[in-house]
This record gives sequence, structure tokens and C-alpha cells, in this order.
Amino acid sequence: MSQVIENTAPPAATVMRPSSALTRSLIGGLVTSLPVLAIGLAILGFAPTYYTYLALGAFVNLIVVVGLQVFMGNSNIANLGHSAFVGLGAYGVAILSTPLAMKKLSIPNAPFGFATLQLDPVSSALIALVVVGIVAAISGKVISRLSGVAATIVSLALLIIVHSVFLNWTDLFKGNQAFFGIPKVVGLPWMLVSSVVVIVLARLFKDSRWGLQLRASAQSPQAAAALGIDARRLRLMSWVLSALICGLAGVLYAYFAGTISPKLFYFQMIFNTLAMLILGGMATVTGAVTGVIVLSVGLEFIRSIESGVTIGSIQLPQLLGLSGVALGVVIVLCMAFRPGGISGRYELDELLSRFFRRNAK
Amino acid sequence: MDYALQQLLNALAFGAEYSLVALGLAVVFSIMGLVNFAHGEIIGVSAYSVFLAAALGLTSPFVAVLLAVAAAALAAVAFERVAFRPVRYAPTTTGLLTAFGVSIVVQNLFMLLISPKPQSVSILNGLNQMWFFGPFAVSSLQVMELVVSGLTILALVLFLNRSTLGLAIRAASRDFATVRLMGIKANRVIATAFAISGALAGIAAVFIIARRGSVSPDLGFSLVLKAFVACVIGGFGSLAGAAAGGMLLGFIEVGLLVALPQEYGGFKDALTYVIIVALLVYRPEGLLGQRVELGDKEI
Repeated sequence: MSQVIENTAPPAATVMRPSSALTRSLIGGLVTSLPVLAIGLAILGFAPTYYTYLALGAFVNLIVVVGLQVFMGNSNIANLGHSAFVGLGAYGVAILSTPLAMKKLSIPNAPFGFATLQLDPVSSALIALVVVGIVAAISGKVISRLSGVAATIVSLALLIIVHSVFLNWTDLFKGNQAFFGIPKVVGLPWMLVSSVVVIVLARLFKDSRWGLQLRASAQSPQAAAALGIDARRLRLMSWVLSALICGLAGVLYAYFAGTISPKLFYFQMIFNTLAMLILGGMATVTGAVTGVIVLSVGLEFIRSIESGVTIGSIQLPQLLGLSGVALGVVIVLCMAFRPGGISGRYELDELLSRFFRRNAK
Repeated sequence: MDYALQQLLNALAFGAEYSLVALGLAVVFSIMGLVNFAHGEIIGVSAYSVFLAAALGLTSPFVAVLLAVAAAALAAVAFERVAFRPVRYAPTTTGLLTAFGVSIVVQNLFMLLISPKPQSVSILNGLNQMWFFGPFAVSSLQVMELVVSGLTILALVLFLNRSTLGLAIRAASRDFATVRLMGIKANRVIATAFAISGALAGIAAVFIIARRGSVSPDLGFSLVLKAFVACVIGGFGSLAGAAAGGMLLGFIEVGLLVALPQEYGGFKDALTYVIIVALLVYRPEGLLGQRVELGDKEI
């Protein structure tokens, strides 16, 4: 039946079909990244330095959340360990690219000759990502064998293991203290480009054959297995891609902040990014982007209250923990009333095309 | 000899504590499939209510112990009513993330309403003494921890096996729909499971306060991470597995502490988790868990 149709269709259409799906996904990714691009360019053009700095932080979160979406959104397994990869990326470039004079102050006893090694930022970043990829491949091997809760707990174990190594291998990671002197080579333009690339990449993965199969296996493991889908391999693949994106976020963070410390890459980051993804909706890349935009603005507002504000003549006290309460309430309410998040099932381009089609009628 | 005995007691006491908390997680998970990340905050509520009672002048240790257990049971039931009931029939991931949210809210409320810094509580310090048995000196707290945990687990087993409500809970963990068809109220079964889970957390809280002499917002969090691990190595949802996993974890931790040279002591946590993950590679379904595939018929 289908053969008949293909035979009668003009040959150009059959050749076009796969590439047009690719094009649609590519355009979809670009459309999804438009709001990010618009906000980024507005900040680049008009905002004062303080806001630029805040925006850089928000862009790092954006990349982490998109990375998280690649695994969680497609495999439907909660991942509570992704900030380990952010940390590995950041420490990777810190150890490789920090100038020698700085290293003498910070890590004079570094093993494997790292104390006398200084690479340029680009090759440091590449090596750091390779390290992230190796750690992800090893941990992914374990995680892809497990299902549901056990996989989540192992992701948590990974976070604790990596954090513990950062804290205790003081010769290499400087322990609890801040690691300083990393070259500040990344500004807002680089961050913007990376965000767009990552968003498009996540979208391409989601729409690809692998992404589709992975989502199918998350919905119905038996049906997917009956169709010959190897869910383990796909979970591993999305885990590694997700880790690489998170690692990239870490690299960029280290290169714009110049200073990192282990506690940046622990539970606080997990809380924030997870809340962003849940609020926006983890099924779509659009959801990841929406969640980051809404919560970044919201949290910044709450933080300004948290540090104590004066309304008229009344000075409010410091309210430490307020932003944490807000984050948690967002997660709980979202799960109860809108488990799919703000964006639900549809990507931005899909929503737009539905909207225009309806209006055209 | 003395040293070996002391370390054995250490391992047993830690293991007993992990087992208590892990059992609390497993009771709830086996019935409603909820991965209760907020279990640590139940311990936190319990500890903070003892702190507040002490601040108000209730200094009797006996009252403090009762209060700790009661507050924990109430907190668990309240969490269920407010946060977990709306997601009762949702997928596991939704429940897990809800519990994660509850955990963040409660932890930050402690910070916001009381203090981000540890607060000292000395009511229960009397429990922590040295007892001398001939040449051996042992910590009373550890002995009590072991005995009380053992008795609690025994009581739980008796309750689950002998009482109607216990039977209903066990039945509900196998097939909830049928249990409801038999005329047993779902809300009552689940509330009881949460109350039991809370009471177990409350008993653990008593020992934590007695040992640390202080309370802090993240008090229960790291303990519950350990309890999760205990559940996972035992096989999630299996009560016997949770107890066994807790004991095993206690022995791994103390074993590593004894085996590791002083300067590498900081890596204890990392190594513990590496061992756990390695265990899971060989037995993904846990030590006492069964390999269940969706669609398999339960016999």
C-alpha cells in the first residue's frame, strides 16, 4: 500500500522528506531560541554592567537546564546529579588554563604536572569536555542499566562522589576554597551563541530518530522493546549528550566568572535548575527556556526582598531562605496543578504554527 | 579487642539508625510508590519541635522523646494531606519531584523562621553516657540505639502481621485496587503508613539530637540520602531489604573509616557511594529485590 504511494509520488518529494524533517526541526530550534536571543541582545545593547553579570549567570543556568532536558525530558528519569558535570567542566578549564603565576599561588602541589602546564582557553575547554564525556560514559553505563528510582539515586550518588572529590583532593581542586585566576575570556556574545547552539542541538536530538525512540521507550517500555528499541543504549546516549551540555555550561561559567568553588556545583544548583525545568515543562525544549526566563526574573525579584528592603519608612528584616521557599512552592504547586509545566506538550514553533493556521481559516 | 568491639558496636549503631530511616521510606514507597524525599524534613520537624519545647521550658527528657515521635508522625501525615495527596495517582517522577519540593520548602522555612545556623538543644544529652562492662567502655547511646531500633522493627513486623490495619497495609502494597474493593478506606491506609513512617523518623530524630546536641536546617537531609541508598541496595520497596541495606551501609561506612588512613578520611563518603554503585552494577534490582518487569504477573 505504502509502496504504491511512494511509486506514484514524484521522486523529488521522497528525497525531500527526511531533509525537510531535519529542516523543520532546525527552524523549530531557532524559533525556540528567539526569545533568548532577543533578551540577550537587549541586555547587550542597553543594560548596565550589573544586569549583564546577572544575565551571564542566567545564561549558564539556561544551558544547564537545556542539558538537563535532553536527558530528563526524553527518558523521563529524574536526574539529580547534573551539576557534577557542570563542576567537572568548570574545574577542568580552571586547572588547565589558569596562568602559571596564579597556579603557583593556588595549586602549587598539583599532581601529574598540572602545576607547570598552561593551555589556551579553547584546547582547555575541549579537554575538559572530553573528561566530562568520559565520566558521563562511565556513569551512564551504570544509570542506563537501572530504571526509575534506582537511576535517580545513582545520579545523586554521582553528585556526592564528585563533590567529595572536589572537597578532599585539595592538591588539585583546592578543596573548600575558591579557585581563582581563571582567564575571563567569555562575554555575553559567546554566551548567546552557545545558548542558541545548545537549544538547537537539544531540539535536533528530541526530534531525531533516537529522541523519538527514547521518548517512546519512556512512555511504554514493553511496546518499545517489542519494536526492537534498545532503551539502554538510547538512555546512555542522551545521558552523555546531556552531560556534555552541562559540562559546556561549567566551562563557560568558569571563563566568565574567573572564580569557582565546589559549593557552586552542589545541591543549590540542582534545586534551581530542576525547579526551572519543572516549571517550564520538561517535555519540551521550549519548556526549559520558558522556565529559565520566568524563574530567573522571579528569583532575582525575591532575592532583592530577601536581603531586606525598605518600603516607605518600614525597613523589612533580612529574610534568608525566602527564595528557597519560593522555589519549593513552585515545584509542589506545579506538580499538583500542572505537572506538564507552563509549556506543556508543544514547542514554541508548533504553538505558533497552530495559532496562525487557526487564524488563517 | 576493645577497639574491634567498639567498631563493631559503631557499625551496628549506625546501621540501626540507617535501617530505621530506610524502613520509613520503604513503608511509604511500598504502598503508594512515592519516593519521599521529604523524609529528612520530618526528622527536622521533630528535632525543631523538641528545640522549641525546650525553649518554652519543657525540659523533661521523657516529654521530649514523646514529643519528638508525635511531632514526626503528625508532620508526616500533614505532608501527605497537603502535598502528596494531589499527586497520589501521578507517575513516580512526579511524586519524587513533589517530595523534593516539600523538602526544599521545609528546610528553608527552618532557615527563615528560626535560623540558618545550628541551634543547641541539650535536653537529651543525658542519654549519651559511658557505660562500663568490666574492662569495656561503651556508649550508652549506641547500645540504646541498637536495642530501640531492634524493638521498633520487631513491633513494626508484629503490627504488619497481626493487626487488621497492618494486614491492609501489606495487602495494599501488593494490590491497592483490590484492597479498596474490599471496603478498606484508601485514605486511612495511606495515613497510617505515613504515621508509621513518621514515627520511625521521630525515633531516629531522638538519637540524632542526643548525639549532636544541636539542630540545624539540613539535619535530616544527609541522613535521608544514606537511607535512600540503603533502600536501593536492599531493593526499593522491600521492608526486609531496607533494614538489611541500612545495616550493610553502616558496616561499609565504619569499615572504610577503620581501613582508610587518617589523611584520606575525607574520601569516606565518595568511596561509600562508589561501593554502592558498584553493587548496583551487579544487582540492579538490589540485594533482596525481585527482578520485576512491567507486565509480569505477580504470583
